[in-house]
Amino acid sequence: MPRPITIAVFAAAIGLWWLASHSGWVSAFLLPSPTTVAETTGELLASGELLRHSLVSLRRVALGYVLAIALAVPLALLFVLSRPLRAALEPLLEFLRQIPPLALMPLLMLWLGIGETQKIGIIILSCFFPIFLGVRGGFAAVDRKLIDVGTVCGFSRAEMMLRIVLPSALPAIVVGLRVGLGYSWRALVGAELIASSAGLGYMIVDAENLARTDIVLAGILVIGGLGLLADHLLRFAIRRAAPWLAGDLEMARA
Amino acid sequence: MLELANIGRRYRVDGAEVTALADVTLDFPPGSFTTVVGRSGCGKTTLLRVLAGLETPSEGEIRRSEDGPPRIGVVFQEARLMPWLDVRGNVGFGLRGRLPQATIEQRCADTLALVGLADFARAMPSQLSGGMAQRVAIARALVLEPQLLLLDEPFAALDAFTRRSMQNELVAIWQRRSPTIVFVTHDVEEAVLLGERVLEMQSGRVVGHETLDLPHPRDPTAPEANLHRRRILARLMQAPSSAPAGPA
Repeated sequence: MPRPITIAVFAAAIGLWWLASHSGWVSAFLLPSPTTVAETTGELLASGELLRHSLVSLRRVALGYVLAIALAVPLALLFVLSRPLRAALEPLLEFLRQIPPLALMPLLMLWLGIGETQKIGIIILSCFFPIFLGVRGGFAAVDRKLIDVGTVCGFSRAEMMLRIVLPSALPAIVVGLRVGLGYSWRALVGAELIASSAGLGYMIVDAENLARTDIVLAGILVIGGLGLLADHLLRFAIRRAAPWLAGDLEMARA
Repeated sequence: MLELANIGRRYRVDGAEVTALADVTLDFPPGSFTTVVGRSGCGKTTLLRVLAGLETPSEGEIRRSEDGPPRIGVVFQEARLMPWLDVRGNVGFGLRGRLPQATIEQRCADTLALVGLADFARAMPSQLSGGMAQRVAIARALVLEPQLLLLDEPFAALDAFTRRSMQNELVAIWQRRSPTIVFVTHDVEEAVLLGERVLEMQSGRVVGHETLDLPHPRDPTAPEANLHRRRILARLMQAPSSAPAGPA
């Protein structure tokens, strides 16, 4: 449950918003009041439109995120295991990492069209590096002193991996996963703003063209809410699976 | 019998060669209690790591008369606990998968009681004080019922009272189970309090030894103990203290 202070801060922000639009400080067109936005959200829910766009967006994030994990984790493990591979590919990856995925949008649209493949491609590109670097960093930072303990216990390579290296690497991996999830959500909305026919980003851009700022705001709030929800679910899952990581989770805010 | 014959260990540090051990020839009879004293960097930790199989000597030979790999318990300077396991999990770390679970539970409980941490079986390492963590590390080594018990300044982080009771406990365990013990310390009083034999190390070499024929429990302030201490200290202070070699 959120703490009282959290609720109070949210309430204050909404109160300020209400005051700004009702007192006439800001035109009701530029900033529709919270009540208008709430009504619009209600209508969008009732018509099923909000649910449809949300599901399209969520499906894209889920697919992109899972595919990014499926690519980044094995590649990171190969990097951990093979020094020559690391030496050969590291500079190229470092170069690619500097390029914001949205800068690749024009090319991706030419290569992959403007359908689902392109959206999911953007998501994969944007959450690949946090996950990849998290896994790599986690394995690279394993404490030699803990490895000594395993050696003294006569551990085999497999035991060393499962009982010392993997649990040691887990905090960094978890941080990578959590940062990656945030990135993927943001990149998705960006991709949907530019070229698409469904999804929350599309809903916002479409509403903007129709001068419906209330729908724009409703879309923004849903995006924020769903992102928060996804992050909470991930944290909950991690807390259940690895309670000792609770402290490390707080580093992962990005 | 455990024997070291002409063991040497050299490292390269920034292109320069550092000698951590040079021409060390020693034997450790079964059930013997050897303490090793010397300054930081004299090679005593490296000696222990070679005995533990954590380092391969650059030259020389290790001979063991037992068949098969010996059960070795090691206590490091720091606790080195697995932060993701509770105290029980850490104590049973080396036994898991090698003995039936019920046996492990029983042995862990007994050993935790021995080091005075019976009530902390479920605690996580992050909740322990330095001294408690070190006692868990000692329990992790003892629970293996080792034939060879190697300890590297294990009590340095403990307060004086806990240190004293752990020292007594170690002697009691040695008398009861008679493992071969090699105990590294920079504290001459501790070396004299515990060992049957004290080895003095300097610049990677064993430069002297003292055999102690004193009954346990020993009084470190007794005249005989003081005599030994004075002799060991005199030799260690007088020898050249140059060229610290290798990690402490």
